[in-house]
Amino acid sequence: MKTQKFKRPLAWACLIGLLSVTNLTAQDGKLTEDEAFFYEEFDESAGVYDPFESVNRFIFKYNDYVFSNTLQPLVDTYTAITPDTVEEGASNFFNNLRYPVRLASNLLQGRFKGAWIETGRFAINSTVGIVGILTPADDYESLAPIESEDVGQVFGAWGIGEGPYLVLPFFGPSNLRDLAGLFGDRAINPIKEPFSMIDDWEWEWQFATFSADYISRSPQIIERYKQLKGSSIDPYSSLKNGYTQYRRGAVSE
Amino acid sequence: MKFLSYKAYLVLGLLLVVSVSAQELQKEKLQGMIDATLDVIYSQTHASLSANEKQAQVREKIESSYDLDVMIRYAIGKNWRRMNEQEQLEVLELVKQLVLKAYVTGLEGKDRPSVTFGELTEIGKARIEIESTMVLDMKTYYILYRLRQMDSGWQIYDIVAENVSMSSNYRGQIDDHFRKGSGADLIARLKDLLAKDEINEDTKI
Repeated sequence: MKTQKFKRPLAWACLIGLLSVTNLTAQDGKLTEDEAFFYEEFDESAGVYDPFESVNRFIFKYNDYVFSNTLQPLVDTYTAITPDTVEEGASNFFNNLRYPVRLASNLLQGRFKGAWIETGRFAINSTVGIVGILTPADDYESLAPIESEDVGQVFGAWGIGEGPYLVLPFFGPSNLRDLAGLFGDRAINPIKEPFSMIDDWEWEWQFATFSADYISRSPQIIERYKQLKGSSIDPYSSLKNGYTQYRRGAVSE
Repeated sequence: MKFLSYKAYLVLGLLLVVSVSAQELQKEKLQGMIDATLDVIYSQTHASLSANEKQAQVREKIESSYDLDVMIRYAIGKNWRRMNEQEQLEVLELVKQLVLKAYVTGLEGKDRPSVTFGELTEIGKARIEIESTMVLDMKTYYILYRLRQMDSGWQIYDIVAENVSMSSNYRGQIDDHFRKGSGADLIARLKDLLAKDEINEDTKI
């Protein structure tokens, strides 16, 4: 009994002592940890290989000039004169046309569920949705929109490295792998050369289709670009880092 | 001794519950802060405020809950040591102003976004992540808030929007700057950016 009486306070003292020591150590550790925390390295920014920086910066400035002085006024006019529903319809229509690229990219990555969802959406939107202008597939929970896949992501999923960072005229940020992917996308796309399924397609029509597609996508792109540029210390560096993080995230997902 | 062990477990269990609840409280605190900043930008009572006044009020709302210095220091990283004390303070203040300006001007003129908070995940020692979804202009954005327990309490150290970490993005820019530039150049650049009304003013080839 005596021993038990003695043991109880001793055990409590040990427990309280242990908790205080743990707390003190944590407090003590945190003081130095806070400072160390500020200096820790990021995983996401583990280097962007940019050997062509001077050329890239020049093309970036050129694109920036074109965006601000040509595309921006064009987009402003387009959004001003086009009702929101028409704008959305045009964007949906061109997005629906890119279905073969998304299908192939899902299949090539073994994403069969993604391929199924894309096919279901394409079937419903192309028919009930009047050639893809409307998106009635959104009403089906099992066909909710998924992240868009492309050939660049396929290459990434296959383990092909990004290669050097590139800025493409008009297209903006990219890298060697995504540039190859861009050619892959065009090869799969049935309305784009070199394997267009439309015979005797005059260049004027091709240009008109390309321009309409480009402009219908531009309001979103311009908006995001403006956001990024507005909060950047160095817009070139910000876009390079943002693009790389975004693509790495898309590939890893 | 058996009785004692039971009590000890109870104490430890209680401590665990308190710790979990404290983390959950962070979600409410974050949500409250976001709502308060959106009120400044969108509510009718603040409609007459100028852009600068709105930025000041948004800053006040954020700083009443979080220390903005933490996120900026984390974004600056090791480059902090490349600046003298005066430059460090000035850079902290100017980056703060730049971020707030981008936040307020980025949302102005648009419909108020709806923000929904999701899961809270513990991602390491004294670190948590809070998921959120923001619907703005009929588009859905996934935003992740990363918080760490500092000496000053739980602080936001990173915001990840659509896979792009804000702190990492600024770190990349600041790293690139210090490859060729100095702290004084960075201050000049930040002042230049803040002086511009339109972000496209410097577009020249």
